[in-house]
Order: sequence, then C-alpha cells, then structure tokens
Amino acid sequence: MAKVAWNEMTAFAKVIVEDYKLFEGLELVPLETYQGMDTRPAWEFKTPMATGFYKPYLIKGSDRIEKITIGELHYMGRAKYCALNMTASNAYDLPIYACEFDETAPRVGVTMDLMPTVDIARHEEYLQKYYREIAPLWRKYRTIPGFTLEGRCLVQRRYGPWPWARESLSPFSLDGRVEEKEDRVKLMEAVVAYARVWLDLLKKAEPIRDEGYRQEMLRRKSKTQKYYRDLDPGGEVMKKIFGAEKSHLFVSLVF
Amino acid sequence: MDAGVKWTPYPEKMKGLIDSLQPTALQEWKGQNLAPALEFARGQARGGFSAYRADKLEKIGIGSFVHAGTRHFAFCSIMPGEAYDLPLFLSRLEEGKEEVILLVDIIPTVDSLVDEEYRKKYIESVQPLWDRFAALPGICPEESDIIRSLASIIYTAARVPIEKEGMRLAALAPHTEYLKSYLAFLPEAAPVTDEAKKKELAAKRAALRTTLRAHFFKEMLPGPAREELGDGMIELLNAVYF
Repeated sequence: MAKVAWNEMTAFAKVIVEDYKLFEGLELVPLETYQGMDTRPAWEFKTPMATGFYKPYLIKGSDRIEKITIGELHYMGRAKYCALNMTASNAYDLPIYACEFDETAPRVGVTMDLMPTVDIARHEEYLQKYYREIAPLWRKYRTIPGFTLEGRCLVQRRYGPWPWARESLSPFSLDGRVEEKEDRVKLMEAVVAYARVWLDLLKKAEPIRDEGYRQEMLRRKSKTQKYYRDLDPGGEVMKKIFGAEKSHLFVSLVF
Repeated sequence: MDAGVKWTPYPEKMKGLIDSLQPTALQEWKGQNLAPALEFARGQARGGFSAYRADKLEKIGIGSFVHAGTRHFAFCSIMPGEAYDLPLFLSRLEEGKEEVILLVDIIPTVDSLVDEEYRKKYIESVQPLWDRFAALPGICPEESDIIRSLASIIYTAARVPIEKEGMRLAALAPHTEYLKSYLAFLPEAAPVTDEAKKKELAAKRAALRTTLRAHFFKEMLPGPAREELGDGMIELLNAVYF
C-alpha cells in the first residue's frame, strides 16, 4: 500500500485553479450570501483541529450559476477533505458537477460526477444532451488503478451502505479509492476533464421553457441537495468540529 | 451442446420459476403474431422465444438462441400490469466457451431518488443480493451507456471468466435470485389509486418501453448475430419482451 506524506498530498485548489487554469477566461466573483446565509465565515477558517476554506463564487455577467465552490478542509495534519461543486441556477437543467476528494496517507477516496437533475431513464434526450462528451472520459479514467480491484471493476459500487447517494449518481460517475501517488495525479486530470465538460455545457445551456419539466427538475435537484446536506457522513464530522450552524453553511456550499 | 460447451441452463431454470405464476401463453401482441418466434432458424441462429401473461403482469418474455454453435444468448423480461407500481424485471445472458456476460436488474417505474418509499420497498429490499454478487468474478459496470442509464442502483453486471464449468452456474445465480425477489413482490401488489402516481408510472413505463424497444437488442446483440436475425426478428423480439 502506498503512503503519501502530508506535505506531498494534493494541493487540490491550487492544482485546479493555477496548474490546470480551469477557470481561465471566466471572472469568478465571490458569492457573499447563499440561501440567506453569510458565506464569509467559510472563506477561511481555523480551529484547533481543522483549517481550510470553502470559497463560493458566481461568474461575473452570468445568470446561469447558483454557485461554484472550491474548498479544502485540512484535518490535524492527517487528512484533506477537498471538494469542487458547480451548480447551475434553477432556470437550467444542467447536471450538478460534484467532486469529493478525500486524501489520507494510504489513499484518496473520490467521487466525481455530473449528477443528473432529472430521471434520465424517463428523459432519454437528457443523456444525449449532457453526457456525450463525458462517456469517453468515463471509459478512459475508470482504468485508473483503484477503481478496479482484483479483477472487479467497482465503479458505482463505493456507496454500498447509502442507496440515496447511489441514486444521485449518473451512469458516468467515477468513484473509488486510489492509492499510488502517480494515480492521484492522474485523478486530478480526471477531476479537471469532467469540470471542463461541465463548463462547456454551461456555455451552451438554454433556459428551461416547459414549466412542468422545470418543477420536476427542481424536485429532484432539491432532494439531491437535501440528502447530501442532511445525510452525508462528512456532515457529522463537521458538526463536531464547527457546531451546527457553521457546518450547515459549509455542507450547503460543498453541495 | 455446441462447440464442446454445455450451455448454462438459463431458459429451463428461469421458466421453472415463472411457472409458479401459472402463466398463459400469448399468441399475439398488439396485432403482431408471435408464433414465428416460438421456434426459429435464421441462417446460423437457432432458438425460440415465448411471451406469457400472468396475474398482475402485462407480459413475461423468455427465450434463447445459439448463434453459429459458438455463442448462446438468453433473455427474460417482465412488464408489470399497468394498474400496478411494480418495477420491470430485465435479464440477459450471453456466453461463449470462455466467458459469460450478464446483466440482471429490477428497474424502478418511478424516480426512485425522489420516491423513497418506493425505493425502500422495491430496490433497497434487493440490496442484499447486490452486495452478495459484488463478490462474483468479473463484476463490472454494464457497458452500454443507454442501458446503464435505465438501470437501478442494484443492477448486477459481470463478465464472468469460465475457469471451470461450475462458473456457468455461478453466473446463472444472479438471474434466478433476482427473479425470485421480483416474484416475491407479486402477492402484495395492489392497484395504484393515487392519480398523480398513476400518471408518473404511466410516463416512466412508456419511456422505458420506448428506450428498450429502440436499443436493447441493438445494444445486447453483437453485429453478426443481429444481422443473422434480421430486422423482422428483432421487431418480433421487441413484441415478445417489451
């Protein structure tokens, strides 16, 4: 089993923003209020056990964004809980880009996906519209060692105990545990590749015109957000570290 | 027996379970005569497919064929009666000398992320099987994007390597076990009375049927087998199954 030292762990936000320049050409502006909450306490935080940031943004001049959040929580020099979330505003049916990247010495536990905001099985056109570019990436990156163990490809099986979490995933999620340092680096390439597809879809997005469909989309979107905010096991850890109010802000920004 | 291989006894075992419903054979489906599917030979493809009706179920399709004596294909589906919220049952098995490819699922007829009650009743109750078959050699995601997009969170798919003949029976077990779970839903199934739920069920069933008819056999049959069967037989299979 690989062991990656604390000072060699992934600088998640830096790699995305500075190395890969994911947001080049877009002007990100801080989102100061989200769902009635002042977000500034999340921009930088420090407690005896944890330090880090969850920085939420909008894109200047765009009404298409609910939030783009990038964050890292560093826990006692042992673990980094990192996230990138990109959610479109309620006039659009874009999937939710969600990435959890939890790194410890022995492994990265990762889930990344474009989570559908409607039931794809009922709306075949959604698959054609939003996943054409993701499908080849899924086939490419699911070969990263760790997604397959002992001849069994375990992609889409990570969340065994949490059916609600599996329900939220698209047929193209990448989830699993990745160990070797070079594979963690490759994983960041996948994180950015999925994110680039999402940003490209955002550019082309058209507002929903059918109000019935929009309501159906909002039901699923809000249910998905509620599941992660209320039931994600990471939320319990946050409550212990930061208390109920701050942890609600943090999980709401991360998801 | 073909190619020196004793094929997995899928049709016999699955039909044996279906027989507990005392099904009646369907001769036609929406004006289409199903008799030519019962036993057929098209080029190098030989086999047979049957459709049945049973209490609370609109249609049960089951059958198999062997192509060129080297490849065995078998399928089973159950479409629930339209008055019920029952899920769909879907299963396919393809085998050659060295490998069995399989997919088996219980597909929800609502959005099972949103409808938690439905998910607990029909999907999470089958999760122990999903957990159990995670240990099957060759477990993997279903390769077809469109079919995976219909699948539930408890589908099992695999490409099981046949290192010894007992592995064929191991690859059959997910089909029979999922089917037993599905059949266990039937005694308690009652007609849906809520109008909004009826509408939702009808919309999703129609979408599933449309997608399956358009894509299932196209995706599940390799080119040579599909060409041998021809468009007419594929259309007939769609009538038998969906």
